[in-house]
Amino acid sequence: MNRRTMMKWLVKGIGLVTAAMVGIPTMIAAFSPSWLHRSRRSRWRFLGAVDSLPLGEMRKIVVALPDEEWGEALRQKAVYAWRPAERQVIVYSRSCTDLGCPLTFDPGSQCFFCPCHGGIFDKNGERLAGPPNRPMYRYAARITEGGEIEIDLNSVPPMA
Amino acid sequence: MKKKIAERFGAVTIKENILERRVPKTPWYQGDGATLTTLLLVQVITGVTMTLYYTNSADFAYDSVEYITTTLPMGWLVRAIHFWTAGIMVVVMVGHFFRHLVMGGYKPPREGTWTVGVLQFFLVLTMSFSGYVLRWDERAIYAAHVLLNMFSKVPLIGEELVLLVQGAPQIGSLTLTRFHSVHVLIVPLLLIGLVAVHLYLVILHGITAKAEHKRAIETAGEQKKAYKEAAQSPERGEWFYPEANARIGTMALAVFLLAFSLALVAGPPQLYPEANLVRSSMPQEEWWFWWYSALIAQLPPAMAPIFYPVFPLALFVGMLLLPILDRGSNRGPRKRPVWVAAVGLSIIALLWLSSLRVQSPWTGWPDSRPPPVPEQVVISEKAEKGRLLFSRYGCNSCHALASHGRKVGPDLARIEHRMSQKELRTFILNPPDDVSMPSYQGRMGADDLERVVEFVLVAQTFPRRTGQGEQKGQ
Repeated sequence: MNRRTMMKWLVKGIGLVTAAMVGIPTMIAAFSPSWLHRSRRSRWRFLGAVDSLPLGEMRKIVVALPDEEWGEALRQKAVYAWRPAERQVIVYSRSCTDLGCPLTFDPGSQCFFCPCHGGIFDKNGERLAGPPNRPMYRYAARITEGGEIEIDLNSVPPMA
Repeated sequence: MKKKIAERFGAVTIKENILERRVPKTPWYQGDGATLTTLLLVQVITGVTMTLYYTNSADFAYDSVEYITTTLPMGWLVRAIHFWTAGIMVVVMVGHFFRHLVMGGYKPPREGTWTVGVLQFFLVLTMSFSGYVLRWDERAIYAAHVLLNMFSKVPLIGEELVLLVQGAPQIGSLTLTRFHSVHVLIVPLLLIGLVAVHLYLVILHGITAKAEHKRAIETAGEQKKAYKEAAQSPERGEWFYPEANARIGTMALAVFLLAFSLALVAGPPQLYPEANLVRSSMPQEEWWFWWYSALIAQLPPAMAPIFYPVFPLALFVGMLLLPILDRGSNRGPRKRPVWVAAVGLSIIALLWLSSLRVQSPWTGWPDSRPPPVPEQVVISEKAEKGRLLFSRYGCNSCHALASHGRKVGPDLARIEHRMSQKELRTFILNPPDDVSMPSYQGRMGADDLERVVEFVLVAQTFPRRTGQGEQKGQ
């Protein structure tokens, strides 16, 4: 290797090392949410007293979101809940399983309608029409001994 | 002295090599590139102005956009110009892309110019999407939701991508700051850099001249010869400045004036209620994405999740590979009839899909208003009860009746195959499996069922061609 070739490699090497010194920390900082929030511990939230949910009737209920979420208007979220049987609660995310548009429940037809691309689901969350290829997202829900309904906010995908 | 200063700042070199250069005669429509550059400049100026007032915190972003629109002197106009030039820029860019498909603008020696253009194409689309998320109204938050859900369908790394774009376990301020950085810093920096490279390459390799269309040109050397001959010819060539410049500048000015007029007349885009995850909402994408939305609505469930990652990727890779895939020597529309047809059909498809999105016949939605009865038509008491029940049972959430209402299901007054009373009853209680209708078994009592059936049968006898103004009972 002659002096000139060595100089060329040296210049390239120094350039690369300098780029890495800036690039690696900035990339780690920028991409960190992909792995920081992957392991999602259960986060149970109070939904309401089980008795306040009439049997068989779909209700839209607003739940409080964790305080650390920034943006006041986003510190609460509506979900749909109903009680098919005395001690059974089903809680749905409002996100359409196609592209996440907000589903609206129609008490007349007992269907969920997506405002975007024609997704329609029945009361059981099963697809009736449109591009969705899976049923509605259901939150893990439990009824405490005191008769309170709780849901795990992290039991649905992060974009639901 | 003046010349000396100009020389010291490099202006003489620019004048001699860029302004005072010979180019083949340039038709006005070749001004689409100059138009895009002009619109980008307008975007930068209006965008920078808005950043003086915009706040990228989820608590105040919406308020700051409202302030720009309603209180800031001339703020509404700045926002309106930004919005209309953005939409028109997408249209002109697609036009620019189509024109080069027809011309063969990616053929030697312009493969590099084309490749940079493809990157710009996707960056402009990113800008045109990320921009309206910054408004932080309902349209914005659901636009972000749609994008996140598209990313979620990417195999293997879907969830990681969602978290990367969302910036947090759930949508919020960290999502907004990310979209803000993408829209205001990351993409503009890349885009302006690429525009500089693209323009440099346009000067280096020249515009797609008519001289290249006349005979088959295989190599970069042949192209350079044909281009130079045309540029130097007194009849077929001209000076870039002012002749060519005036013509392409006129197109740029005309398009900008169109955007400016729309901004003056139509104003800035409507702001929906502030971003929230509670209200019932009917969000819609901006008009330049209507075609895509309509396309998505046609997808069968088995295909939808594959389509979301594959379509943009296929488009991107296909565009990048085009110079390698199409190695024919034909340039110009006359020698490329297949491309002319493909582009023509694509334009028709884009317009047709966009108009379909305006109608959105696939969307069902609750509607408490019973269907109207035509003027001078009297219906029985039983049918009238059925009319009220028609909306109470949500029939009109999907079915129109004599053209009034949603169009998800068939118009019950217009169906070709008329059902008997018995068939209707059976259909309502137990719809066939292949029909996207909920069963009313156990929910609709016998009396209500009779009334609804009666009303549907009566409605089928309504006179046709009833205008909305003649209706009553809405």
